[in-house]
Amino acid sequence: MKISTKLIGLSLGSVVVVAGLAITLVGELRTLSSGYNDLLHGAVRQAEAARVTQVDFKKQVQEWKDILLRGHNPADLAKYTGQFHEQESKVKAEAQALAGAVEDPATKQLLVDFLAADDTLSRKYEAAYTAYVNGKFDFKAADTLVRGQDRPPTDLFDKVVAQLAAQVDGKVAAQEAEAIRQRNTALLVAGGLLLLVSVLGFVVVNGVITRLGRLKAVSDRLAKAEVDGLSIDISGNDEVGEFGQSLKGVAAAIEELLIVVAH
Amino acid sequence: MGLQLKNRYEEVGRELGSLARMKLAMLTKISSAQASELPDSAANMKLIDDAIAQLRKQK
Repeated sequence: MKISTKLIGLSLGSVVVVAGLAITLVGELRTLSSGYNDLLHGAVRQAEAARVTQVDFKKQVQEWKDILLRGHNPADLAKYTGQFHEQESKVKAEAQALAGAVEDPATKQLLVDFLAADDTLSRKYEAAYTAYVNGKFDFKAADTLVRGQDRPPTDLFDKVVAQLAAQVDGKVAAQEAEAIRQRNTALLVAGGLLLLVSVLGFVVVNGVITRLGRLKAVSDRLAKAEVDGLSIDISGNDEVGEFGQSLKGVAAAIEELLIVVAH
Repeated sequence: MGLQLKNRYEEVGRELGSLARMKLAMLTKISSAQASELPDSAANMKLIDDAIAQLRKQK
Protein backbone atom coordinates (compact mmCIF):
# COMPACT_ATOMS: atom_id res chain seq x y z
CA MET A 1 0.00 0.00 0.00
CA LYS A 2 1.30 3.46 -0.90
CA ILE A 3 2.54 5.69 1.93
CA SER A 4 0.23 8.45 0.73
CA THR A 5 -2.72 6.01 0.92
CA LYS A 6 -1.67 4.94 4.43
CA LEU A 7 -1.37 8.56 5.62
CA ILE A 8 -4.68 9.56 4.04
CA GLY A 9 -6.28 6.46 5.58
CA LEU A 10 -4.80 7.34 8.97
CA SER A 11 -6.05 10.94 8.72
CA LEU A 12 -9.51 9.85 7.60
CA GLY A 13 -9.55 7.18 10.31
CA SER A 14 -8.69 9.82 12.93
CA VAL A 15 -11.46 12.09 11.64
CA VAL A 16 -13.94 9.20 11.72
CA VAL A 17 -12.83 8.27 15.26
CA VAL A 18 -13.18 11.87 16.51
CA ALA A 19 -16.55 12.28 14.78
CA GLY A 20 -17.74 8.95 16.18
CA LEU A 21 -16.61 9.95 19.65
CA ALA A 22 -18.36 13.31 19.35
CA ILE A 23 -21.60 11.67 18.21
CA THR A 24 -21.36 9.09 21.01
CA LEU A 25 -20.71 11.80 23.62
CA VAL A 26 -23.65 13.88 22.38
CA GLY A 27 -25.83 10.76 22.61
CA GLU A 28 -24.60 10.04 26.14
CA LEU A 29 -25.23 13.67 27.14
CA ARG A 30 -28.76 13.47 25.75
CA THR A 31 -29.44 10.28 27.70
CA LEU A 32 -28.05 11.88 30.85
CA SER A 33 -30.02 15.08 30.32
CA SER A 34 -33.17 13.05 29.68
CA GLY A 35 -32.58 11.15 32.92
CA TYR A 36 -32.28 14.38 34.92
CA ASN A 37 -35.38 15.79 33.19
CA ASP A 38 -37.38 12.70 34.14
CA LEU A 39 -36.10 13.05 37.70
CA LEU A 40 -37.05 16.74 37.89
CA HIS A 41 -40.47 16.26 36.31
CA GLY A 42 -41.23 13.10 38.26
CA ALA A 43 -39.83 12.37 41.69
CA VAL A 44 -38.61 15.90 42.53
CA ARG A 45 -41.90 17.52 41.52
CA GLN A 46 -43.88 14.96 43.57
CA ALA A 47 -41.65 15.55 46.61
CA GLU A 48 -42.18 19.31 46.27
CA ALA A 49 -45.94 18.83 45.90
CA ALA A 50 -45.95 16.67 49.03
CA ARG A 51 -44.17 19.39 51.04
CA VAL A 52 -46.71 21.97 49.82
CA THR A 53 -49.60 19.70 50.89
CA GLN A 54 -47.89 19.11 54.24
CA VAL A 55 -47.77 22.87 54.84
CA ASP A 56 -51.37 23.31 53.62
CA PHE A 57 -52.52 20.65 56.06
CA LYS A 58 -50.82 22.51 58.92
CA LYS A 59 -52.52 25.72 57.74
CA GLN A 60 -55.86 23.89 57.80
CA VAL A 61 -55.27 22.90 61.43
CA GLN A 62 -54.24 26.48 62.19
CA GLU A 63 -57.47 27.78 60.61
CA TRP A 64 -59.41 25.48 62.96
CA LYS A 65 -57.59 26.96 65.93
CA ASP A 66 -58.40 30.46 64.63
CA ILE A 67 -62.08 29.47 64.52
CA LEU A 68 -61.96 28.35 68.15
CA LEU A 69 -59.99 31.40 69.34
CA ARG A 70 -61.75 34.15 67.40
CA GLY A 71 -65.03 32.55 66.26
CA HIS A 72 -67.03 34.26 68.99
CA ASN A 73 -66.98 37.28 66.66
CA PRO A 74 -69.47 36.54 63.78
CA ALA A 75 -67.28 38.23 61.18
CA ASP A 76 -64.20 36.31 62.28
CA LEU A 77 -66.21 33.08 62.47
CA ALA A 78 -67.32 33.49 58.85
CA LYS A 79 -63.81 34.45 57.77
CA TYR A 80 -61.94 31.62 59.47
CA THR A 81 -64.63 29.03 58.65
CA GLY A 82 -64.31 29.96 54.95
CA GLN A 83 -60.53 29.79 55.12
CA PHE A 84 -60.71 26.44 56.98
CA HIS A 85 -62.95 24.86 54.32
CA GLU A 86 -60.80 26.33 51.59
CA GLN A 87 -57.68 24.74 53.06
CA GLU A 88 -59.54 21.48 53.69
CA SER A 89 -60.60 21.23 50.01
CA LYS A 90 -57.15 22.19 48.87
CA VAL A 91 -55.47 19.52 50.99
CA LYS A 92 -57.85 16.80 49.76
CA ALA A 93 -57.40 17.80 46.10
CA GLU A 94 -53.62 17.94 46.41
CA ALA A 95 -53.42 14.61 48.25
CA GLN A 96 -55.68 12.93 45.65
CA ALA A 97 -53.60 14.33 42.78
CA LEU A 98 -50.43 13.10 44.45
CA ALA A 99 -51.94 9.65 45.07
CA GLY A 100 -52.72 9.44 41.36
CA ALA A 101 -49.22 10.52 40.37
CA VAL A 102 -46.91 8.48 42.61
CA GLU A 103 -45.79 5.08 41.34
CA ASP A 104 -44.39 3.57 44.52
CA PRO A 105 -47.16 1.30 45.94
CA ALA A 106 -46.15 1.91 49.58
CA THR A 107 -46.29 5.70 49.16
CA LYS A 108 -49.56 5.43 47.27
CA GLN A 109 -51.03 3.38 50.13
CA LEU A 110 -49.86 5.96 52.67
CA LEU A 111 -51.67 8.66 50.68
CA VAL A 112 -54.82 6.55 50.52
CA ASP A 113 -54.59 6.07 54.32
CA PHE A 114 -54.02 9.82 54.75
CA LEU A 115 -57.11 10.65 52.67
CA ALA A 116 -59.19 8.26 54.79
CA ALA A 117 -57.76 9.74 58.02
CA ASP A 118 -58.38 13.25 56.68
CA ASP A 119 -62.03 12.36 55.93
CA THR A 120 -62.42 11.06 59.49
CA LEU A 121 -60.83 14.25 60.83
CA SER A 122 -63.15 16.39 58.68
CA ARG A 123 -66.21 14.66 60.18
CA LYS A 124 -64.84 15.24 63.69
CA TYR A 125 -64.10 18.93 62.90
CA GLU A 126 -67.69 19.24 61.61
CA ALA A 127 -69.10 17.78 64.80
CA ALA A 128 -66.83 19.99 66.95
CA TYR A 129 -67.81 23.05 64.89
CA THR A 130 -71.50 22.35 65.44
CA ALA A 131 -70.86 21.91 69.17
CA TYR A 132 -68.84 25.15 69.21
CA VAL A 133 -71.49 27.24 67.48
CA ASN A 134 -74.42 25.69 69.38
CA GLY A 135 -72.53 25.81 72.69
CA LYS A 136 -72.17 29.58 72.67
CA PHE A 137 -68.61 29.42 71.38
CA ASP A 138 -67.29 27.23 74.19
CA PHE A 139 -63.91 26.56 72.60
CA LYS A 140 -62.80 24.24 75.39
CA ALA A 141 -65.72 21.85 74.82
CA ALA A 142 -65.19 21.96 71.03
CA ASP A 143 -61.47 21.44 71.38
CA THR A 144 -62.03 18.40 73.56
CA LEU A 145 -63.85 16.72 70.65
CA VAL A 146 -60.89 17.06 68.25
CA ARG A 147 -57.88 17.33 70.53
CA GLY A 148 -55.03 15.23 69.13
CA GLN A 149 -57.20 14.04 66.22
CA ASP A 150 -54.98 15.72 63.64
CA ARG A 151 -52.02 13.61 64.78
CA PRO A 152 -52.76 10.42 62.69
CA PRO A 153 -53.13 12.24 59.32
CA THR A 154 -50.11 14.45 60.21
CA ASP A 155 -47.98 11.40 60.95
CA LEU A 156 -49.15 9.66 57.76
CA PHE A 157 -48.32 12.65 55.63
CA ASP A 158 -44.94 13.13 57.30
CA LYS A 159 -44.19 9.56 56.19
CA VAL A 160 -45.30 10.38 52.64
CA VAL A 161 -42.93 13.37 52.55
CA ALA A 162 -40.09 11.31 54.02
CA GLN A 163 -40.62 8.47 51.53
CA LEU A 164 -40.77 10.77 48.53
CA ALA A 165 -37.63 12.59 49.72
CA ALA A 166 -35.86 9.23 50.11
CA GLN A 167 -36.98 8.26 46.60
CA VAL A 168 -35.54 11.52 45.22
CA ASP A 169 -32.27 10.90 47.04
CA GLY A 170 -32.14 7.35 45.65
CA LYS A 171 -32.89 8.45 42.11
CA VAL A 172 -30.35 11.30 42.29
CA ALA A 173 -27.72 8.85 43.54
CA ALA A 174 -28.61 6.41 40.72
CA GLN A 175 -28.45 9.23 38.17
CA GLU A 176 -25.07 10.36 39.49
CA ALA A 177 -23.80 6.78 39.35
CA GLU A 178 -25.04 6.54 35.76
CA ALA A 179 -23.31 9.83 34.91
CA ILE A 180 -20.05 8.53 36.39
CA ARG A 181 -20.44 5.23 34.52
CA GLN A 182 -21.05 7.05 31.23
CA ARG A 183 -18.08 9.38 31.88
CA ASN A 184 -15.81 6.39 32.58
CA THR A 185 -17.07 4.55 29.50
CA ALA A 186 -16.50 7.65 27.36
CA LEU A 187 -12.99 8.08 28.78
CA LEU A 188 -12.21 4.40 28.25
CA VAL A 189 -13.49 4.33 24.67
CA ALA A 190 -11.85 7.67 23.82
CA GLY A 191 -8.57 6.56 25.40
CA GLY A 192 -8.70 3.21 23.64
CA LEU A 193 -9.39 4.76 20.25
CA LEU A 194 -6.71 7.41 20.80
CA LEU A 195 -4.26 4.67 21.70
CA LEU A 196 -5.25 2.66 18.62
CA VAL A 197 -4.79 5.66 16.31
CA SER A 198 -1.47 6.50 18.01
CA VAL A 199 -0.19 2.92 17.66
CA LEU A 200 -1.27 2.75 14.01
CA GLY A 201 0.32 6.14 13.35
CA PHE A 202 3.52 5.04 15.09
CA VAL A 203 3.67 1.78 13.13
CA VAL A 204 3.17 3.56 9.79
CA VAL A 205 5.60 6.41 10.51
CA ASN A 206 8.19 4.14 12.14
CA GLY A 207 8.03 1.74 9.17
CA VAL A 208 8.59 4.57 6.72
CA ILE A 209 11.38 6.17 8.77
CA THR A 210 13.21 2.83 9.26
CA ARG A 211 13.10 2.00 5.57
CA LEU A 212 14.09 5.56 4.61
CA GLY A 213 17.09 5.16 6.94
CA ARG A 214 18.10 1.98 5.10
CA LEU A 215 17.66 3.79 1.76
CA LYS A 216 19.91 6.61 2.98
CA ALA A 217 22.58 4.10 4.01
CA VAL A 218 22.44 2.56 0.50
CA SER A 219 22.48 6.01 -1.08
CA ASP A 220 25.52 7.01 1.01
CA ARG A 221 27.44 3.90 -0.20
CA LEU A 222 26.43 4.52 -3.81
CA ALA A 223 27.64 8.12 -3.50
CA LYS A 224 31.06 6.68 -2.65
CA ALA A 225 30.77 4.02 -5.43
CA GLU A 226 31.02 1.32 -2.78
CA VAL A 227 29.03 -1.35 -4.59
CA ASP A 228 30.99 -4.41 -3.45
CA GLY A 229 28.73 -6.55 -1.28
CA LEU A 230 26.07 -3.86 -1.39
CA SER A 231 22.71 -5.39 -0.55
CA ILE A 232 19.55 -3.43 -1.14
CA ASP A 233 16.90 -5.28 0.80
CA ILE A 234 14.07 -2.78 0.62
CA SER A 235 10.84 -4.33 -0.57
CA GLY A 236 7.23 -3.19 -0.54
CA ASN A 237 4.70 -1.75 -2.93
CA ASP A 238 4.92 1.79 -1.63
CA GLU A 239 7.03 4.78 -2.65
CA VAL A 240 9.99 3.65 -0.49
CA GLY A 241 9.90 0.17 -2.09
CA GLU A 242 9.84 1.73 -5.58
CA PHE A 243 12.76 3.99 -4.64
CA GLY A 244 14.64 0.94 -3.37
CA GLN A 245 14.08 -0.83 -6.71
CA SER A 246 15.41 2.23 -8.54
CA LEU A 247 18.49 2.24 -6.33
CA LYS A 248 19.06 -1.45 -7.14
CA GLY A 249 19.23 -0.47 -10.79
CA VAL A 250 21.65 2.37 -10.04
CA ALA A 251 23.83 0.08 -7.92
CA ALA A 252 23.88 -2.59 -10.65
CA ALA A 253 24.79 0.04 -13.27
CA ILE A 254 27.65 1.40 -11.13
CA GLU A 255 28.91 -2.12 -10.53
CA GLU A 256 28.72 -2.85 -14.26
CA LEU A 257 30.57 0.38 -14.99
CA LEU A 258 33.33 -0.65 -12.63
CA ILE A 259 33.52 -4.08 -14.32
CA VAL A 260 33.69 -2.51 -17.78
CA VAL A 261 36.37 -0.04 -16.70
CA ALA A 262 38.35 -2.82 -15.04
CA HIS A 263 38.40 -4.75 -18.29
CA MET B 1 25.31 -20.93 -12.88
CA GLY B 2 24.32 -17.89 -14.94
CA LEU B 3 26.63 -18.58 -17.85
CA GLN B 4 24.07 -17.68 -20.45
CA LEU B 5 23.06 -14.64 -18.47
CA LYS B 6 26.65 -13.45 -18.22
CA ASN B 7 27.16 -14.09 -21.95
CA ARG B 8 24.27 -11.78 -22.72
CA TYR B 9 26.22 -8.92 -21.14
CA GLU B 10 29.26 -9.73 -23.27
CA GLU B 11 27.07 -9.83 -26.39
CA VAL B 12 25.46 -6.50 -25.55
CA GLY B 13 28.90 -4.99 -24.92
CA ARG B 14 30.11 -6.14 -28.31
CA GLU B 15 26.92 -5.23 -30.15
CA LEU B 16 25.81 -2.03 -28.42
CA GLY B 17 28.80 -0.82 -26.40
CA SER B 18 29.77 -0.39 -22.78
CA LEU B 19 27.07 2.18 -22.08
CA ALA B 20 24.47 -0.37 -23.14
CA ARG B 21 25.94 -2.85 -20.63
CA MET B 22 25.44 -0.29 -17.92
CA LYS B 23 21.90 0.39 -19.11
CA LEU B 24 21.21 -3.36 -19.18
CA ALA B 25 22.36 -3.61 -15.58
CA MET B 26 20.19 -0.65 -14.66
CA LEU B 27 17.11 -2.04 -16.40
CA THR B 28 17.47 -5.54 -14.99
CA LYS B 29 18.91 -4.33 -11.66
CA ILE B 30 21.50 -7.08 -12.09
CA SER B 31 25.18 -6.53 -12.90
CA SER B 32 27.11 -9.10 -14.98
CA ALA B 33 28.92 -10.17 -11.81
CA GLN B 34 25.59 -10.83 -10.11
CA ALA B 35 24.25 -12.50 -13.27
CA SER B 36 27.04 -15.06 -13.20
CA GLU B 37 25.83 -16.15 -9.78
CA LEU B 38 22.16 -16.43 -10.77
CA PRO B 39 20.61 -19.51 -12.39
CA ASP B 40 19.84 -19.40 -16.10
CA SER B 41 16.19 -19.78 -15.36
CA ALA B 42 13.52 -18.96 -17.88
CA ALA B 43 12.39 -15.98 -15.80
CA ASN B 44 15.92 -14.54 -15.57
CA MET B 45 16.56 -15.10 -19.27
CA LYS B 46 13.29 -13.39 -20.15
CA LEU B 47 14.19 -10.43 -17.90
CA ILE B 48 17.54 -9.99 -19.64
CA ASP B 49 16.21 -10.57 -23.16
CA ASP B 50 13.35 -8.10 -22.67
CA ALA B 51 15.83 -5.46 -21.47
CA ILE B 52 18.15 -6.16 -24.43
CA ALA B 53 15.20 -5.81 -26.82
CA GLN B 54 14.39 -2.47 -25.22
CA LEU B 55 18.01 -1.32 -25.64
CA ARG B 56 18.02 -2.35 -29.27
CA LYS B 57 14.90 -0.29 -29.84
CA GLN B 58 16.55 2.74 -28.20
CA LYS B 59 19.60 2.43 -30.44
